[in-house]
Amino acid sequence: MKKFLSMIAIASVLAFTWACDDEEATPDRPTITAPAALDVLIGESTDLTFTVSIPGGFKSASVTATGGEAEVSAALTAGAVSGDIVVTFAANEEAGDATISLTVIDNNDKEDLKEVVVTKGNQVTITSNITANTTWKTGVVYVLGGRITVINGVTLTIEPGTVIKGQAGTGANATALLVARGGKLMAEGTAASPIIFTSVADELQPGQIVSPNLEPTVNGLWGGVIVLGSAPISASSSGSQLSEVQIEGIPATDANGLYGGNNKTDNSGIIRYVSIRHGGANIGSGNEINGLTLGGVGSGTVIENIEVVANQDDGIEFFGGTVSVTNALVWNSFDDALDTDQAYNGTVSNFVIVAPNTGSGFELDGPEGTYKDGDHKFMNGTVYAGANIADLIDFDANTNVQMSNIYFYGISNNTDVKEYAAMIAFANSTSSVAGFQYTLPAEKSAATVFAGIPADKLTAVAANANTLGANLTSFTWTWARQSGALAGIGL
Amino acid sequence: MSFSSNAQDQKGTIRGSVFDDVSGEALIGVTVQVKNNTSGSVTDFDGKFNINILPGTYDLIISYVSYRTTTVTGVEVKSGSVTLVENIRLQEDVQTLESVVVTAEAIRNSESAILTVKRKAPILVDGISSAKFSQIGDSDASEAVKRVTGVSVEGGKYVFVRGLGDRYTKTTLNSVDVPGLDPDRNSIQIDIFPTSLIENMMVLKSSSADLPADFTGGVVNIETKDFPEVKTFNVSASVGYNPSMHFRDDHFTYKGGKNDWLGFDDGTRQLPAGATNSVFPSPGAPGVTSQDVNSFLKGFNKTMGTQDQKSLMDYSFGISSANQKNFDNGTSLGYIFSTTYKSSTVFYDDAFYGEYQRPAFADEYELIYATTQEGAITERNSLWGSLAGLAYKTQNSKYKLSALHLQNGEKRAARFFIDDNGSAVGKSGFFGGSENLEFSQRGVTNILLSGEHHTSDKGWSIDWKVSPTISKIVEPDIRKTAFTYTSSDTVFSSGAAGNPSRIWRYLDEINLVSKVDFKKNYQLFNKAASLKFGASHTFKERDFEILTYNMQFFGSQPEFNGNSNVIMDDQFLYPNGSVYFSSGNPDPNSNSFNSTVSNTAFYVSNDFQIIDKLKAIIGVRAENFVQRHTGRDGVYANGDVVNGRNLDDAIVLDALHFFPSGNFIYNYRDNQNLRLSYSKTIARPSFKELSFAQILDPVSNRTFNGGLFKFPDWDGNLRETLIDNFDIRWEKYMKKGELFSVSVFYKKFADPIELVRLSVAQTTNEFQPRNVGDGQILGAEFEFRKSLDFAGPVFRKLFASGNLTFVDSRIDMTDQEYNVRKAYQKNGQELKRTREMAGQAPYIINVGLSYEDPENGFDGGLFYNVNGPTLTVVGGGLFPDVYAEPFNSLNFNLSKSFGPDKKTSITFNVSNILDDVRENFFVGFNAQDQYYSRLNPGRSISLGLKYNLN
Repeated sequence: MKKFLSMIAIASVLAFTWACDDEEATPDRPTITAPAALDVLIGESTDLTFTVSIPGGFKSASVTATGGEAEVSAALTAGAVSGDIVVTFAANEEAGDATISLTVIDNNDKEDLKEVVVTKGNQVTITSNITANTTWKTGVVYVLGGRITVINGVTLTIEPGTVIKGQAGTGANATALLVARGGKLMAEGTAASPIIFTSVADELQPGQIVSPNLEPTVNGLWGGVIVLGSAPISASSSGSQLSEVQIEGIPATDANGLYGGNNKTDNSGIIRYVSIRHGGANIGSGNEINGLTLGGVGSGTVIENIEVVANQDDGIEFFGGTVSVTNALVWNSFDDALDTDQAYNGTVSNFVIVAPNTGSGFELDGPEGTYKDGDHKFMNGTVYAGANIADLIDFDANTNVQMSNIYFYGISNNTDVKEYAAMIAFANSTSSVAGFQYTLPAEKSAATVFAGIPADKLTAVAANANTLGANLTSFTWTWARQSGALAGIGL
Repeated sequence: MSFSSNAQDQKGTIRGSVFDDVSGEALIGVTVQVKNNTSGSVTDFDGKFNINILPGTYDLIISYVSYRTTTVTGVEVKSGSVTLVENIRLQEDVQTLESVVVTAEAIRNSESAILTVKRKAPILVDGISSAKFSQIGDSDASEAVKRVTGVSVEGGKYVFVRGLGDRYTKTTLNSVDVPGLDPDRNSIQIDIFPTSLIENMMVLKSSSADLPADFTGGVVNIETKDFPEVKTFNVSASVGYNPSMHFRDDHFTYKGGKNDWLGFDDGTRQLPAGATNSVFPSPGAPGVTSQDVNSFLKGFNKTMGTQDQKSLMDYSFGISSANQKNFDNGTSLGYIFSTTYKSSTVFYDDAFYGEYQRPAFADEYELIYATTQEGAITERNSLWGSLAGLAYKTQNSKYKLSALHLQNGEKRAARFFIDDNGSAVGKSGFFGGSENLEFSQRGVTNILLSGEHHTSDKGWSIDWKVSPTISKIVEPDIRKTAFTYTSSDTVFSSGAAGNPSRIWRYLDEINLVSKVDFKKNYQLFNKAASLKFGASHTFKERDFEILTYNMQFFGSQPEFNGNSNVIMDDQFLYPNGSVYFSSGNPDPNSNSFNSTVSNTAFYVSNDFQIIDKLKAIIGVRAENFVQRHTGRDGVYANGDVVNGRNLDDAIVLDALHFFPSGNFIYNYRDNQNLRLSYSKTIARPSFKELSFAQILDPVSNRTFNGGLFKFPDWDGNLRETLIDNFDIRWEKYMKKGELFSVSVFYKKFADPIELVRLSVAQTTNEFQPRNVGDGQILGAEFEFRKSLDFAGPVFRKLFASGNLTFVDSRIDMTDQEYNVRKAYQKNGQELKRTREMAGQAPYIINVGLSYEDPENGFDGGLFYNVNGPTLTVVGGGLFPDVYAEPFNSLNFNLSKSFGPDKKTSITFNVSNILDDVRENFFVGFNAQDQYYSRLNPGRSISLGLKYNLN
């Protein structure tokens, strides 16, 4: 048996050798070794390297593609017998599989063809800080794999319709988008194509406004958006030299979390038509991430048409700075809806607050250090208190704020206004309120709810019969409007 | 071969030791002859002898060339027992060769020879030895060591010399660095060593080349017995009662495991399966079903809160046994064994932690509270320790093998009311209530193998030691549940008191010390001299990891009504309810590290007499210290491999340093010495300090950040501290161990390490060890021990002793520190460029009054210790400095032994007689002091009984 097998083996070898000898008359046809299948982001280009062997000498190469455009970007010199051919593939905007076919022809017109499948994804995980100018593209889902920082001197541009999703995590593992001092965020959505920040648990896809699976009460699934600048803050006793401190929610060991400085007109970019949802991951007790944190952001920054939904901490919190915000809606914040600290000195106009839970409608603090430069302003707003609000407005004695033309309604629990009289009486205070309209249930008195605010600044109106407050046409793009939630409370 | 004691049961044994009266050195080859009897012996290289003889009363004739022959009379030998004749002192006398006669009784009460040696030595040493233990009733080392002047004992466990903090005091066992239950401390706790197994405890206050260079303030060495002189089998038990802590109905604890009392967790607190998966089982995570999340959540222990339970009192018991056997061929075998169990219950019913801030304006002075936590802490501490040792002695060699294991379980629970002030900087303002559950399981196992060899002419001796140690700490499932009290509800609020959290901490450390010492006795300038040289190597490796999980709610939070023990009920767990846990651990984990240390040392030192009465030890030591670290910062761990920092077995400390030292003693008059010493020493950062670890204490809510983190004002490069030490001391020894001494010392610190508060972090309480500006301390020390017999014969057994130290310490502030202080300078406040050193008390007072009546087995004392206000946390900017308030510790102890053989003894102790409270305060200029922490240890009494069954 053994002998028989070895004889067959010898015969096979001889046959093979003879067959090869026979081929030597004309060179082999070209052979292409294709690169492994790979992933590409929709709308992006990638290079594929094919290794070819052309015993007959290279003549030409051609490429065809489905799902995008392909071209040979580096071929071989005529007559070459081996080498690499590079094909550049530009994926189109549709997710799915693309195929790239390369054909190589030799001088004997023998050819070979190899096909590579490229998966065009619309999701990419970001794990590194943004250290060079970067654009995040429309239609793509960018997953924040950690605390992603746009560092000093670098701009991150986010195109309209882009969705950003934070991975789950808490403490040092919390995900967030952090724009450090000197970094810029150019997030310019449109009413038709807003930019949405949400959680990886959200099945929302680019083009959608309403989450297909998450309730607008689910919070704490990821961190939030933090923008830091070098406008003045009042966080310490430092005389004329303005200080810098570490923003809450970022571990003290990450120096990108420092904010504050001397530049009142500092520019951190443009944030427009942005909806931030389900954030506010817990960092530690008393230390958490707001939906939109603005630390020392300067007046050169544009922030308008912002929606924050279901954040475990505050909706929007201002730590000093001079930036103004126009058209802001905060819905279901699990702490305060709007929070100011450290002698914030900008204007928030045309805003809607819906049902803060556990926290206050406004949590307004004054300077924490010696620096103060006038008051910040809230004008033209509508506040639906809801059943779980803490204080309607929580002033401090030294709060520097002027509030005007705000309508309060939906009040059902024992919420009220804190420390108004102390604030007005505070030395050199220029704080004020004016033009408050309200609707209260019969059993509640304005004197109790708006404790200390003089009656001449308060006007009772029938529910949703307010003559001042937010201009709601600015909020048609929001999840709150499109889900019907605003309509449900008469807005 | 047979045991001589077995072969001739009717015989008894005489054991003893012979020393040079002046130097206190053991005398080798001395002939010990029993008068009118053929029995006799010759002392070995330890100066010890052993004679088996029939019962009776004998005289011993001790003779040695060029020494006066001494006769010890009245040595009584009983059948089957051992009679000790230790510390026989021979006087050198070539002139008269006249013999001396002393009684055995007189010898028993003479001072231990080892102390004589030390008094004559150029190195500044004090101590207490077994000869003293046999006279007093102290049952463990922590009680006995208090009798050494200048030594204080913290918490009944840790020894401090001259009031210097832990960084500068170190405790060694048999001259080997043994990591204690807390490897971040330099010290091993000493209350587990029964005095019956201790040969001596020596306190070294000046350094020499044969000691590790990280000596700075003092070293306490515990030497266990190798050849116990008499057979003992002791049983002991004690109870302790603290009225403010024990048998209280409002005491509380939490549901733990079955083996907590043994210092082990039985798995009750184990990490659930899946907690370290790369895809963490949280809702919506890719590939994770809601059922996966649910079964993961069910893996957690359900207990999240405390429960009331009446407190018990403290108790302990122990057994110890020791003996030696002498073989016919002249070899001896000795063994020691002990095991101890202690259980103590601590209840701080009035604990307080505060965070205060400086006001911003220069004309505002009073400190502003940021957060206060007021409540109670309970601790049930279970400790057992076992020690076993075997020693074998031949003509010229001695071998020792010992093994030690300590196991400790500390179960802590706390309840706090939290008041957070929204007006303070960085604070959100809320009221809350927290419950903390902790368990700390610590184990340490040490083995020591050592040998000692002498050449037959006794010119050379070699000493070697190999000692591995394994330490393991697990702090499983540290839980904190803090409700936030809103005006209408009790809820979890992440922006206020936070969501419930659970932490697991792991620490594993191995430590291998090997060393060899050579000693050559020779003649220099026609005087006895000895040359010592040797080498040692220490290898240490630590693995450390912290895992953190925070509770989250997927949707609305259930109504818990403030009941923390229902939170983990099945109905609330996702997807039945909204409760789930989110991982705080990046992959790779930024809060885990591996570090190693390799320290190779060589030294040479010469002990000689320069001129008559002037002795010196001059030496130099070289240490090549390499510390490596594998770890990463949070930025890297979060995935940013470009900007993050990752160290892979990277060298974080690598230095070869030379440490010269010189110790001189001028014995210019009988019993009066003038000493002078200089040494260069080093204090190195610990593993934890040289890491990226971030360690949160959930009770105080303060975070320790490793020194490797960089900040705008810190380069992340934590360096060692080099110290120049100078000491001058005049001392006078008198009869009955009386002593008076005055010292002046100066220490210069280059780059001392201090724990610094991070001033940029205003929302959280962050600390980091950093090198600060150069420092120096100038101190004066007075030490005395005086019999009160001058006041009359009634007082002849009373002694007053004390150690008073006054220190002026100074640190040059860094520019950064000065600037942040300047920013908060108040009107009328003078700001200097220097301040006192953190951890250095301006004065330390240790005084005691003791009564010693060994004949009647009666012994007692009243001891007082206080440290002056000490800067404990360096503030800066918004945060004021923290000072430890002097704690006036007054303790009383009394012991009495009974019977002719003193087989039974009773001890009685009262601690903290003044009922003082341990307090740390924030101190501001022109402002009222405010609490940083407050714990009230209460007054406690304990009663112990010891009985020798043998």
